[in-house]
Amino acid sequence: MADDKPPQGQSDFTQWHEVKSGETLSKIAQHYYGDASLYPKIFEANRDTVKDPNMIRVGQKLRIP
Amino acid sequence: MLKRSWKYAMALFCAAALACNSGKAPAEAAMKLAEEAVNSARGEAEKLVPDDFKSLSDELAAAREALGKGDYKAALASAQSIQQKANDVMAKAKAKKDELTQSWNQMSESLPKMVDAIKSRVDILSQSKKLPAGLDAAKLTAAKDGLASATTTWGEAQEAFKAGNWTDAIAKATAVKDKATEIMGALGMQAGGAPAPAK
Repeated sequence: MADDKPPQGQSDFTQWHEVKSGETLSKIAQHYYGDASLYPKIFEANRDTVKDPNMIRVGQKLRIP
Repeated sequence: MLKRSWKYAMALFCAAALACNSGKAPAEAAMKLAEEAVNSARGEAEKLVPDDFKSLSDELAAAREALGKGDYKAALASAQSIQQKANDVMAKAKAKKDELTQSWNQMSESLPKMVDAIKSRVDILSQSKKLPAGLDAAKLTAAKDGLASATTTWGEAQEAFKAGNWTDAIAKATAVKDKATEIMGALGMQAGGAPAPAK
């Protein structure tokens, strides 16, 4: 699991994560927060691009608050 | 009686001529201008280029001393030199102020974002039942303390800038940036959009 650069035009200090094959929001939350149950934090921070927390796609860039 | 008055008039004339020839009046006039120039530079130059301003003040003091000792020629030369140097010091102070203002503008745009990003992460990690690899409770506590300290220092930096203490404001803002970068590193966050090391 690796972090990624922010999408173009984004230069703030938000951490970004590029979704890899097999990842879910829970797994990403587990990686960054140590607690899979905190996945709604990531979902809420990405509501503009993620409509369903169970539907993320490979290559998608997610904000990690 | 008439002869005595004539003698007095001549004596006065001679004294006036002597005073004029000695250069006292031009030296005093130049000294007044030099003092005005130094005083007008004082406000910003004293804060922004203190060493240059001290040198200028020292020269003014030396010129005053020369004037007091009746060395009008030296006093005049120093006073004229001081006026030019005061202009140079003011120009240097302005350049320094512009440089500091530019740095301040950059930091005042980025630092609140850094602090917000850290605060967000600390808030979430505080709710975590188990911390991620590489982070333990002690590190999280240190990050919280560091964040509180950085927030306080940032407030102080803003006050210093408002008060015109630009150098102090930049020093404090730089301390906040360093602290925030350290905390982000401890929390495994990347700073400035750079990718974090692969995990």
